[in-house]
Amino acid sequence: MIVNDCRAQIIDTDVLIIGGGVAGCLAAIGARELNARVAVVDKGGLLERCGSIAAGVDQILAVAEDGAEWDTPEYLLEHVPKLTDYVVDIKPVETFVRGLPAMLRKLEKMGVPFKDPSTGKYFRHRTFGLPGEYHIDFDGSKFKPKISRAVLDSNAQISLRTMGVNFLTHKDQTVGASVFHIRTGEFTFFRAKAIVLATGDTNRLSRNSSGLAFDSWHCPYNTGDAQAMAARHGVLLANMEFTENTITPKGISSQGTNSLTGLGAHFINAKGERFMLKYDPAGERARRDILTSAIISETLAGNAPIYCDCRHLPADILERLEDTLGVDRPSLPRWFKEKNIDLKKEPFEVTVSEFSSRRGGVYFRGSGILIDDKTGTNIGGLFAAGDCCTVSGGISGAAVMGYEAGKQAALFARNDGAEASLQDQEIEAEQDRLLYPCRNATGIAPREYEDKVRRIVTDYIGYQRTEDKLRKAIEQLKALTTEDSLLGAHDYHELMRVHEARNIREVAEMVATAALERRESRGSYSHFRADFPQRDDVNWRKIIVLQKRGPGYAVDYRSTDLRDPRTETIHAHID
Amino acid sequence: MPILINEDLCVKGCTLCDQFCPGDIIYRLDPQKIPVIKYEDECWYCGSCEEYCPTDAVKIVFPREMLHSETPAEALFGKADKQKPYGVDAPQKP
Repeated sequence: MIVNDCRAQIIDTDVLIIGGGVAGCLAAIGARELNARVAVVDKGGLLERCGSIAAGVDQILAVAEDGAEWDTPEYLLEHVPKLTDYVVDIKPVETFVRGLPAMLRKLEKMGVPFKDPSTGKYFRHRTFGLPGEYHIDFDGSKFKPKISRAVLDSNAQISLRTMGVNFLTHKDQTVGASVFHIRTGEFTFFRAKAIVLATGDTNRLSRNSSGLAFDSWHCPYNTGDAQAMAARHGVLLANMEFTENTITPKGISSQGTNSLTGLGAHFINAKGERFMLKYDPAGERARRDILTSAIISETLAGNAPIYCDCRHLPADILERLEDTLGVDRPSLPRWFKEKNIDLKKEPFEVTVSEFSSRRGGVYFRGSGILIDDKTGTNIGGLFAAGDCCTVSGGISGAAVMGYEAGKQAALFARNDGAEASLQDQEIEAEQDRLLYPCRNATGIAPREYEDKVRRIVTDYIGYQRTEDKLRKAIEQLKALTTEDSLLGAHDYHELMRVHEARNIREVAEMVATAALERRESRGSYSHFRADFPQRDDVNWRKIIVLQKRGPGYAVDYRSTDLRDPRTETIHAHID
Repeated sequence: MPILINEDLCVKGCTLCDQFCPGDIIYRLDPQKIPVIKYEDECWYCGSCEEYCPTDAVKIVFPREMLHSETPAEALFGKADKQKPYGVDAPQKP
């Protein structure tokens, strides 16, 4: 192919934000409020429609301080240790939870309609094992356009169809990042005093029921770009052993089924039995990881197929349910229609989805870049927010922490940001290295490489982890790096897929490494070791931290800063 | 083909589907010609293109694998282990 050999463009800015989803948008707003020069890059084609919830979202975790005893940050914070199985870095979570009421108002000011138009009140419900009705159901089909409008109005510079691939550091401080346009191949180096990484979670990691790699529950175009680029620079990452999956209608890995169980749908097995209460007193409103674990257990016990049953729900709820089904995923109602399934009249078969690296099925404990209470990392000027970091909490987590990251990055740029004196050769070398697969069009296709990653992850990391299998996974994932320099791309779109494939592999290796280290089981099937099936609170109430060293990862631990465990009563899985 | 475009309904000059596709799958480089589905095996089947097409010219077509999945659930759980299959503990009575 013809490779774009144009000289790299260099753009100066105070804060560069990589990722224009919810976290990235709020980061831009936060940094612009402090008058920093801001640039945002995203792989998507339209700011209004890029990121995980580009097509819409149907609920938000909220603390509204509306009078109920549970409706305060303090009450929720009290429950965070239990909700995260006592493995959580509580200080940054405090930033998140304490920021919730103000963020709800801020988003409302941007025009997001959280209140039910028919009642003028929030429609709140209890789900995911949270100790109160923390979720607001709302029509979030315009959520992303609304917050994007605020970003555009703030005069941040937006570069779309642009993938961030690497950042550079001088003396342990960021000096900027390399990006390219996924259609033209135009290469730009943003000379930035501070960077906010906000590229979301990692998908396309393991197999699913349709066998189509891009049919994933969460956005398949989120591929751990931030986690991988950070890891390669020695940034600390944590909680990587915890993976997340959900329950999806069999055949389509889709968001949206959680709203069904939130509204009262039941799971039943092949015998027609409702089984969730055997596993958790909250039944179908249990934490997500407990739901998927129960379905795996029922399947292994020979009670499959498993169905989701809405038939018992009252008429008004059924109506609401049909209204909200397509909000997260516009194509879902059509899928039901093409399968001739009427939710009101018959149960439909469900299965576990592929898994992602995000937050191990529980709010508050993200799997990703280790951040402090101000969203900072171990590299000066590098901040992270949203699902790529260790505080993950849906759109409100992304919003609160993104906003904080934007503010902190702007302050860093103002007070500590160094004027980078980059050599031309340094940028040219970057350009050569990152665009190289285009000069090797007949090389290994990224899809082929990725399929190998998914096979290894599904078979050897999987849901029943053992030392033998995890060692095999690490060995095979490392062996795959010999193909890294052989990958080829026919165009710049495919060049993006090459970088994504490498990033997915990098994240998979981190998952396997951390999972091998944690010699206990915790968080149900988000980390289940068949060879250490019990939770071990004496030895493992700690956070596993990874740092890339040479060809592998060095492992370290962080204390959780929680109360003395000996003073608390602990039951396995259920408190 | 995951996305069908009705040539009679598709409005020349409009590039919304190209812009809305989160995966850079749909290309309308020449707004006078019908959009091209360039990377069909990378479709998320999110439905954004169909949802936001102003003239309902776009239709998502689910493939057989999605409508009639034959993957056994266990195939997604990983290589079988000799260890006894384990589930979440049922609540223990003290």
